Amino acid sequence: MATAIGPSVPAQGPVERSTLDRMLPYGLVAPAVFVAFAIAVVPMGYVLWLSLQDWYLLRRPAPVWGGLINYNQLFHDASLWAAFGRTWIWTIGTVFVELFLGVPIALLFNRESSVSRTASALILLPWVTPFVVLGFGWRFLLDGDVGPIQGILRMLGISGTGSVLNDPVRALIAIIIISGWKGMPFMVIAVLAALKSIPKDIYEAAEVDGAGALRRFYHVTLPAIWNTLLTVGIVLGILAFYSFDLPWIMTRGGPQTATTIVGITIYKAVFQELRPAYAAAISVVMLVLLFVASILALRLRRKD
Amino acid sequence: MKRLPFPRDVGLDLLTLGILFIILLPILWVFLASVRPDSDIASGGWIPQRFTIRHYQEIIAFPGFLVALKNSLIVGVTVAVITTTMAVPAAYALSRLSFRGRNLVALIILGTQMLPSVAVLVPLVVIVRQIGLSNTLVALIFTHLSLGMPIAVWMLRGYIERVPRELEEAALIDGCSRIGAMVRVVLPLIRPAIVAVGTFAFVLSWGEFILALALISKADTKTLPLVLQGLFDPYSFSWGRVMAGGTTIALPTILLFLVFRKQLVGGLLAGGVKG
Repeated sequence: MATAIGPSVPAQGPVERSTLDRMLPYGLVAPAVFVAFAIAVVPMGYVLWLSLQDWYLLRRPAPVWGGLINYNQLFHDASLWAAFGRTWIWTIGTVFVELFLGVPIALLFNRESSVSRTASALILLPWVTPFVVLGFGWRFLLDGDVGPIQGILRMLGISGTGSVLNDPVRALIAIIIISGWKGMPFMVIAVLAALKSIPKDIYEAAEVDGAGALRRFYHVTLPAIWNTLLTVGIVLGILAFYSFDLPWIMTRGGPQTATTIVGITIYKAVFQELRPAYAAAISVVMLVLLFVASILALRLRRKD
Repeated sequence: MKRLPFPRDVGLDLLTLGILFIILLPILWVFLASVRPDSDIASGGWIPQRFTIRHYQEIIAFPGFLVALKNSLIVGVTVAVITTTMAVPAAYALSRLSFRGRNLVALIILGTQMLPSVAVLVPLVVIVRQIGLSNTLVALIFTHLSLGMPIAVWMLRGYIERVPRELEEAALIDGCSRIGAMVRVVLPLIRPAIVAVGTFAFVLSWGEFILALALISKADTKTLPLVLQGLFDPYSFSWGRVMAGGTTIALPTILLFLVFRKQLVGGLLAGGVKG
């Protein structure tokens, strides 16, 4: 993140700096840098190397150089590309739900009242509750026999007698909505922070000019929060793109392959098909696609 | 903006409460299912009439639950302690000292925040297996450091920058070393922030699922999120028991979050945070 590099003036004391003083900063950052290397930088390099190996655990106990063999297979793997297609639907759907719920809620909560202050704190509960709990929780809520929300869906005619999770199309839609519900609070607090920074007199001026609520939103509010929406949308989109927990816990990627997104494909490639090198190649492709998509999305930023 | 007329304020407050209730209803239902008898969950309607703590007694008696609780606590507390002891000096150096490569260091540490666990899952699993650390808490602790470390550095840096430099300079002139000034002057002033980031690291580790699933398969090193699946007993199936397990994982997270909300919301906004 570019914002990480903040300006901060070095403290130059009157004292001469000794060698020990000059080495001190490196000593202080070394442990954190070591962790970052061991957990992010080294694995990223390793995954690239691994993706060029021929390593299928049932056939070979140790990796052998395979060149582009995995990428070649990956290119012809129709079920993988179907999973990639599903992952885009999942990602865009999740971010859409987050915007669709989050922006109106933030507008509603942007008031000076004790109720809205309390609400802005409690709204974060879906975000802070671990995925694993919500995954099992929603399995209960949508259970075909006892699930209370399943009961409501049945009353509304959205679902038949069985759980919505048993129907391929409805299962994907349901888990996308749940995924959006879980991420929405983050959108709310980010948009709230952006809304609070809009000067009040701009609204007054717009109101004097006779602009209605909708026009004020479109011409004053939206431009002011646009970059926040975009940045938060990208952050939440990246998280959604790499989802695993919810669809794995709720449906194991099923029914059939209806909720198999790439995160699940990677997991299965390692632990069920025992092809770690192939999984590594998928990881690399995923990273490249996400990088390109993020760069394209960032071009929508407004420059002031 | 002019003061809104009173009835409109009340109306918006009520609307706020109504929407909040709908958003939180699924979580409330999960909790209620954990304290209702199974027969009521199946047929007792939506408003609970009878309450029970039986499900909680059952999960405590469940083989592996207490082991998993112990493992989760060990991993979570260790991760919190290591994260803060590594993040404090790094944050201090990044905010107070000038050195070559500072921006690069900031980029490397904070850049890992944007890297989801699934992206590095395959190499981490292979590396952990090759160095023979599969099914150990050490592997889990080490990988969980990535969850909270970047955001901890980021948040602490913000807090340290708000401490007036004059305080430290006075200590330095009095003959204190840099580290002495950091420990004696800055640390006491940012203690609430340190507790908050430690809590945050604990909470992220406590609920973490996919790394645990990928690295741990033996019962004696499983953590709580992995045990939840095991609560589905095919012979005496009980939703109440599974929801009690879920509540046990969620409750500390939610309570700690509400306590440290003020410090954490700023951090959440700053760095995204892995879910």
